[in-house]
Amino acid sequence: MSASSLTHFPRQAPVASSAPLLTAFSRSADPQAVASELATALGHDDLAFVLFFCSAEYPLDQLGEAMQQAFVGVPMAGCTTAGEITPQGYGRGCVVAIGLDRRHFAVSLSLVEDLDGFDLIRAQQLVDDLLDECRGHAMAPVGENSFALTLLDGLSSSEEQVLATLDAALGRIPSFGGSAGDDNRLAHTHVYSNGRFRSSAAVVVMINTALPFEVFTTHHLRPQSAKLVVTRADREGRRVLELNAAPAAEEYARLVGLEVAELDASVFARYPLAVRIGDAHYVRSIQRVNADGSLSFYCAVENGIVLTAMQPAPILEDLEAVLGRLHDTLGEPVLVIGCDCFLRRLELEALGAVDAASRLLARSRVVGFNTYGEQHHGMHVNQTFTGVAIGSRPRTG
Amino acid sequence: MDLVHAPDDVEPTSESARQLTEENARLRRICAALIERVESGGVVGGAPYAAFEHSVLLAEQVRERTETLQRTLGELHRAKAEAEAANLSKTKFLAAVSHDLLQPLNAARLFTSALDEHALPEPSRRVVGHIGRSLKDVETLLGTLVDISRLDAGVLTPDIAPFRVGELLDVLAEEYRQIAAAQGLELRYVPNDTLIESDLALLARVVRNFLSNAIRYTERGRILLGCRRHPEGLDIMVGDTGPGIAEEQREAIFEEFRRIGGDREDRGLGLGLAIVDRISGMLGHPLRLRSCPGRGSVFAVRVPYARTKVAQRHDPERIRPASDRLAGATVWVIDNDADIREGMQALLGGWGCEVVTAASLEQLDARANGQHADVLLVDYHLAEGDPDGLEVASHLQARQPGLPVVVITANHAAELKAEARRKGHDCLLKPLKPLRLRMLLATLLEARANAPARPQR
Repeated sequence: MSASSLTHFPRQAPVASSAPLLTAFSRSADPQAVASELATALGHDDLAFVLFFCSAEYPLDQLGEAMQQAFVGVPMAGCTTAGEITPQGYGRGCVVAIGLDRRHFAVSLSLVEDLDGFDLIRAQQLVDDLLDECRGHAMAPVGENSFALTLLDGLSSSEEQVLATLDAALGRIPSFGGSAGDDNRLAHTHVYSNGRFRSSAAVVVMINTALPFEVFTTHHLRPQSAKLVVTRADREGRRVLELNAAPAAEEYARLVGLEVAELDASVFARYPLAVRIGDAHYVRSIQRVNADGSLSFYCAVENGIVLTAMQPAPILEDLEAVLGRLHDTLGEPVLVIGCDCFLRRLELEALGAVDAASRLLARSRVVGFNTYGEQHHGMHVNQTFTGVAIGSRPRTG
Repeated sequence: MDLVHAPDDVEPTSESARQLTEENARLRRICAALIERVESGGVVGGAPYAAFEHSVLLAEQVRERTETLQRTLGELHRAKAEAEAANLSKTKFLAAVSHDLLQPLNAARLFTSALDEHALPEPSRRVVGHIGRSLKDVETLLGTLVDISRLDAGVLTPDIAPFRVGELLDVLAEEYRQIAAAQGLELRYVPNDTLIESDLALLARVVRNFLSNAIRYTERGRILLGCRRHPEGLDIMVGDTGPGIAEEQREAIFEEFRRIGGDREDRGLGLGLAIVDRISGMLGHPLRLRSCPGRGSVFAVRVPYARTKVAQRHDPERIRPASDRLAGATVWVIDNDADIREGMQALLGGWGCEVVTAASLEQLDARANGQHADVLLVDYHLAEGDPDGLEVASHLQARQPGLPVVVITANHAAELKAEARRKGHDCLLKPLKPLRLRMLLATLLEARANAPARPQR
């Protein structure tokens, strides 16, 4: 013991002076090193929950085990990504993590393994359990001061039903989330819960806090006049075989003025398609061109839906405006958890604007990941920036 | 036109006709897809896209409803703010009016009390008695009205402190024993010295209401004042042998302007129990009523026990009129109202005190001739621009450490009382009750006599 043992320091700092949460990231390739770096940065007696996003490059079994050992007894959730958003901006091949303090947050989480069997009764039970658990140590009335975070396997093709069902059960509790990615390889995406990475699964996290927060979504795409009607679709496989009664890839290539062979993710990012419902447009992102001339999508498609050609507006202006508005409403941000479509990142890379974006994200305290799809109030959407902003201004009744 | 089936046997005759035919065929297929979609009505059983569309529509509905709700909430907030502002201005008006009325009333009461001390012929004594009682009634009514408005406006904040229940009940028992006797009733009081925690003035109002009602409605028999211990708190109980209250009337009696069995001559407005109800709600002290029609009622209020030991301010053994201490005691009175000064001079002089009155500190200095006082009575609100009563008291205590101070104020705000108590002063509210003033002075002088070298409090 040092000389300071002469003075009695309370073991627990007063609530008012404690940081509500901590963030950290590790670029190490070694799972053991990653876990111990994160544990050093985030670990303390009042750590309530750890949320992390990791590159799919890691040996996931080892990473899962190392994290489990580094954070003994701390509930954790996470998923693989198509790129990370660290406290310093965009990252790749790393792990970023958020540690919530139990003096500011009450957290409960649940794993859904049977996505196909996730019906309303199960959803209701899951939400009730989550709320009950939160209520035990809630910071503020659970109904008004909680939000749900969903992480889904991004290649499971089950997002729409799971989300619609979950949203019905959540009622007025706002929800958002992202679909796990795998660095654009489109092979295996995973969510993490209970010490293990899993495919075809979803993690639902309920977070209660007295801090002000807002669940939001934004995109920077504006509708053009051209329309494409889906005339043949494989709804289970999220494939569009024909657009305007012509082979889908051919018709899309004609729309954007390129050869079918030239179509790739960066083209899909620059020339998105969206469905219009009411006054709003919801982007339906193309995943890839298949050998049979069909197009695979990141979200549900249906015969007879009308796709509108979209054009990007300046992406950073839009993002800056949204983050600025959130700052005005909620006060200095403590954290923004961002689910950022990987196509947006491709666009930023094509524009040479990644560094500028990183600066904006870091300044706005955004931590998150690049997704294969975002979730907002039960809607599965693409090519958006969706998340929750947690502010510092005390809530006024 | 047949939108779905292509016409048979049409041979394109030229290249442009061939293109048109082809385009026509595609348009038919597009048409068919749109028709299928429209006719499915978006309710493709369990299809993923339908689930998405459903979520979008739901979210849109939720957004619209939230907007409507927020608009309505905004309007409600505005309406509430307006109502509160109106209520507050009513309260301010009432407070101002009552303050202005209380000042002359206070003076009149002091004069009457002073007159009562004189040797008067019996007819005059009766008249003085009538005047005194009438003034007391006016004062009670005024106080009640102000309290109701303050309680309703939520501007009255309780001043919770620990004290011995005997401190409150001893005085009340003494006071009401005489009133009861005047009605031919016997008041039985079982003393109790449990430490409780409440707002002394507000709790006094509750028990006073119980006692006045018991005396008002009881024709013959007894009034009982006592306490009973419960695990959750101390029940202060007032029982009577009056007519009792029928089951169906037990809620109604707590509403304003409700009186039952009002065949007796009665001067009340029926506000008493309405106030009791509000006060008990504000203090969180539950009320209990047990009654047996024809045999009597017991009203009780449950007060929590004190959590901490109270620093004994006055030894309860000594709370007895000790008028001999008053005789010859030097009392300084600082009040900027000349009528009050004159009234206090008459009252305190009647008790045998040496009284020095002054409108300000300067005046006191001029009149006290460097003498020391045994007690200082100081009005909180002195003339505009002068230091307030607390500052004057601090000033004098600096010169004369240990000088007992009684701050007198018409301001019922809890902060002022708390501030005075923090400085070790006693606090009395206007209009001054001569009996209470006398008991307090006796207590202070007694304590001073027993601890002459007491350091500054």
